[in-house]
Amino acid sequence: MSLFTFLFHASTSLFEHVRHLLEQLTSTTMASPVDSVAPSEGWVTKRSHSHRLVQLKTKEECRLGNETIQVWTVELPSRHAEWVLKIVKEQVKDQDMIDLQHLRRFAKPKFLPQHVVGQRDKVKEMYSIPRAWESTPFAVMQAPSTTTWEYAWPKNTKQMNRPQTLHLLICPTRFIQLSDLHALLMQHTPFCSSADSWAYPLQIKEVTVPLLSPTSPQQADMWSRDYWPTFYRKTNPFGAHPATIWKAEDELQNVSAPGNVDVKEAMTLAKTVGRETEIRGYGIGPGCVIMERVDNVTQIVAVAGDARSKPVKAGSMVEDTNTHGCNGNIMGHAVMRAIGIVGRKRLRAASHIISTRAAKAERSFETCGLGHDEQARDAFFLDLPITPLEEKYFADDNLVPDGYLCLRLEVYLTHEPCMMCSMALVHSRVGRVVFLHRMPQTGGLTAELARNDSGPVGLGYGLCWRKELNWQFMCWEYAEEQKKGSTGKVEDSSTTDHHAQHIARATLDLTGMDTDFNGEDDDDDDYASVSSFVESTHV
Amino acid sequence: MVFPPIPNREYHEHFMRQAIQMAELALASDETPVGCVFVHSGEVIGRGINGTNASLNGTRHAEFVALAEIMSRHPQSILTTTDLYVTVEPCIMCASALRQYGIRAVYFGCLNDRFGGCGGVMKIHSDPGVDPAYPVYGGLFREEAIMLLRRFYVQENEKAPEPKPKKNRELKTEILPVTVTQPTAAAAKSNMAAARAGELKHQMA
Ligand SMILES: [Zn+2]
Ligand SMILES: [Zn+2]
Repeated sequence: MSLFTFLFHASTSLFEHVRHLLEQLTSTTMASPVDSVAPSEGWVTKRSHSHRLVQLKTKEECRLGNETIQVWTVELPSRHAEWVLKIVKEQVKDQDMIDLQHLRRFAKPKFLPQHVVGQRDKVKEMYSIPRAWESTPFAVMQAPSTTTWEYAWPKNTKQMNRPQTLHLLICPTRFIQLSDLHALLMQHTPFCSSADSWAYPLQIKEVTVPLLSPTSPQQADMWSRDYWPTFYRKTNPFGAHPATIWKAEDELQNVSAPGNVDVKEAMTLAKTVGRETEIRGYGIGPGCVIMERVDNVTQIVAVAGDARSKPVKAGSMVEDTNTHGCNGNIMGHAVMRAIGIVGRKRLRAASHIISTRAAKAERSFETCGLGHDEQARDAFFLDLPITPLEEKYFADDNLVPDGYLCLRLEVYLTHEPCMMCSMALVHSRVGRVVFLHRMPQTGGLTAELARNDSGPVGLGYGLCWRKELNWQFMCWEYAEEQKKGSTGKVEDSSTTDHHAQHIARATLDLTGMDTDFNGEDDDDDDYASVSSFVESTHV
Repeated sequence: MVFPPIPNREYHEHFMRQAIQMAELALASDETPVGCVFVHSGEVIGRGINGTNASLNGTRHAEFVALAEIMSRHPQSILTTTDLYVTVEPCIMCASALRQYGIRAVYFGCLNDRFGGCGGVMKIHSDPGVDPAYPVYGGLFREEAIMLLRRFYVQENEKAPEPKPKKNRELKTEILPVTVTQPTAAAAKSNMAAARAGELKHQMA
């Protein structure tokens, strides 16, 4: 496909969207906030790929999730199990300091990983005579209370007519030395009587187990297979409580009230918002939608498209300060703009007390000699609407009055935001964030540094859930279903291409707005970024 | 964080003094006492105090307020030859913005151990990233910067409808010293702890 054909196709489909949008905007009925972007017969649902919410791993989940600890275990007949546990609990001090509630205290041999059942016996090692000349690592020993020599390893553990046994997780190895533990257990049944000790020789093993609770049932299954039977206790020390996440995911995906906007529609709107500024030549495509949810009724309170290319001064061009070619006005990032618009909207609808306070603060600016040109300030911060679509949502006084910043609001983004925008979301106290495309080179929300199932790894900041900061929020990637590999793909095109498309679109925008295009929407992926900018772009 | 000696300190103190003055003006108008100036070729081209109360926007930090002034008169590229003097270490958000704008260097007073992006909590100025890193120099009029914040909290607490117990309202005047020698890793750690113990607990930087 030639560049021209490509541009033509892209522009045609874009056109259709814009035309449709404008029709919707100019129509007199504005029933539901999504109608304008998701008409019932519409282009939105037509060829949509199915997406799902994938909760982002937190930094701590990535960092600590696979830490292990060494523990002592012992195999013993079931009927003695509780008694021995009681002894161990009484005699091994401080073992509760390490919480291993996520591990089964007693495990049946059949539920243990093979390598644990066949583990070398530490007691035998303690008394063993090393036979270095043997090629296989096995030892011969005489158990202290018997006169019989045994072969230690490898060894057939199966014994016929043996009563049912259990493996007891005694405690982390750091709390008692092997010799002390051995001496302790030797004082008690079934290990003390010589008859029993023959039937059930004291075999203490050192086993590696996961130190911390699993954060999902899948992880629990994996650890049960690899280490030791593990429970998923529906808690997560490194992130939001699983019940909170499920509730949130349910609310995001299921439209429970008429007119509610679900994640799919919100994401479509975010894309449209970004395109709206892009086709005007203001930005490079990313979009942001901020939504308030009160008693599970949704209200879209602000939308903003990326507007980094919009001139800060009348008649001037925004110059790029670096080689990436996409820097522009950094305040024009969609997230910064949307947060700013929420503030402007709050100011407009503020109660007397709040507006008096804000006015006083504004005056103190002048006291400090900072009363500069308001127009210039607005042009820099871009915290007022610049497209009809942005204006539509700005004009609607639907915010709960006198709310604090963006406290617990929901944010829908076409792209993982940069560190500046990610921290702006923290400062603004948002509640939930969903984004479509990962930005591995610049994104601030994902935490993976080593491995990631749904795409490439990024910078690893995981800013949505950092214990060091005073605010955490839940965050999801809106990942494509049944498509392996990256969901964070950004078409890698040269800056020149980008500008060419830019200009082509802007031109069409100006000249062909009222032409009737019958162009079929050939965008084969509803959520693919139409915008193409280099991967190193900050969004 | 250990603040190493700053070359040509008097030159930089001159501009940090102006940033402190901005913070003092802010305090006098009951605003969070964080101030900053941007300096290009020995000349202040932008000044800022916190703008969060006026805008109901939690991201309107002093640095951004000053940038708005600069952008109304200069091309953005001026920042690549401009230095920032700010009384409190820039937060993670501002640290990232400054790097994207290509700031030349950042001089700050005290650490921001809640949100700092230039060493206090994270190292956004120097972490691997697509934009060039920038140098930061901390500790210029550190004590003054901390005292301004403490005075602000005492002032705020006295205005609160239910005043806290008296001991919390007392103005603490002792400030832990900062070692300026180049440390071993362990010494750096303990200095960090000492700095944190004495340093601000504040969010609007
Ligand atoms: Zn951004
Ligand atoms: Zn800041």
